[in-house]
Amino acid sequence: MNDFNALLTRSFAEAHDEPADDGFTVKVGHTVARQEFANKIRNTAYATGMAAAGACILYGAYTFAGAFGQDFLATAGLEVARAHGAMSSAPTVSIAAQGLLQSLGAGMTQILLITGVLAGGAVAYRSVQE
Amino acid sequence: MASRGLINLAQATEAALIVAAQARDQAAFSELVKRRQGWARALLRKMCRSHAEADDLAQEAFIKAWDRLRDLETPAAFPGWFRRIAVTTFLMAKRKQKAIFEEIDDASPIASEDSTPEAAAGAKIDLEKALARLSDAERLCVTLNHGEGLSHSEIVDITGLPLGTVKSHVLRGTEKLRRMLEPAT
Repeated sequence: MNDFNALLTRSFAEAHDEPADDGFTVKVGHTVARQEFANKIRNTAYATGMAAAGACILYGAYTFAGAFGQDFLATAGLEVARAHGAMSSAPTVSIAAQGLLQSLGAGMTQILLITGVLAGGAVAYRSVQE
Repeated sequence: MASRGLINLAQATEAALIVAAQARDQAAFSELVKRRQGWARALLRKMCRSHAEADDLAQEAFIKAWDRLRDLETPAAFPGWFRRIAVTTFLMAKRKQKAIFEEIDDASPIASEDSTPEAAAGAKIDLEKALARLSDAERLCVTLNHGEGLSHSEIVDITGLPLGTVKSHVLRGTEKLRRMLEPAT
């Protein structure tokens, strides 16, 4: 068996049957070039998608700020003042807590809207990434 | 400029070609393929039963190498690194075909068609014909062991097969080859 192992190893070493380049290199080169071209297109589409998603988020935020920004700031300011007033002038803790809850409830619409916009933006960003 | 580039590529060392290919130079990679295609195709031809299949797998292996070339730490490690890719490509193809554990138990001696005194003396054996009659796993392990000079543990490392399985494939494959190639009396 050991003799045969040696013969086998020698036979593998002597089997110089490397095939000639019959267009193999050219075929691989073409495939690589095609793949690189496809990658470039994919990267460009990715960058375009990311830019579009970013623009959508910015536009949404800008529109939102234009439509509700002033309202929101005014309401938020008012609610903060009310909350502060309720806490500082409340005779008991329960009345102060009630005022704070009322303030939070009044500002909740805006908070939900902002959360919605941020979540929408995150979803758009993620779908573009995928 | 292009002709100067061609001259440079033709004269470049393999290490320089690998470094250039790692920087996504397609021409350098083509030159590397040109220099290594014979070795890679011969290796896969020993593992596969058909030359066409081996060449397809070699092409796939080179494309994978192009994609992963940045992972190669030193150019000197290229042959071993590429051999691993070639073996993995072969194994994946066989797993897709669900053929890796196919057993071929035909170990009848191969009748020599063109018997010469040299062949009769056992100086050279028709390896390709005999290897084609082994199972895929046996052929892979015998080729890596006797053809590429890898130890059992190195084969385990490349193929992911358990050590006992590798030893068994090498032993059984070698024994089958011995029975097939022993001189007909």
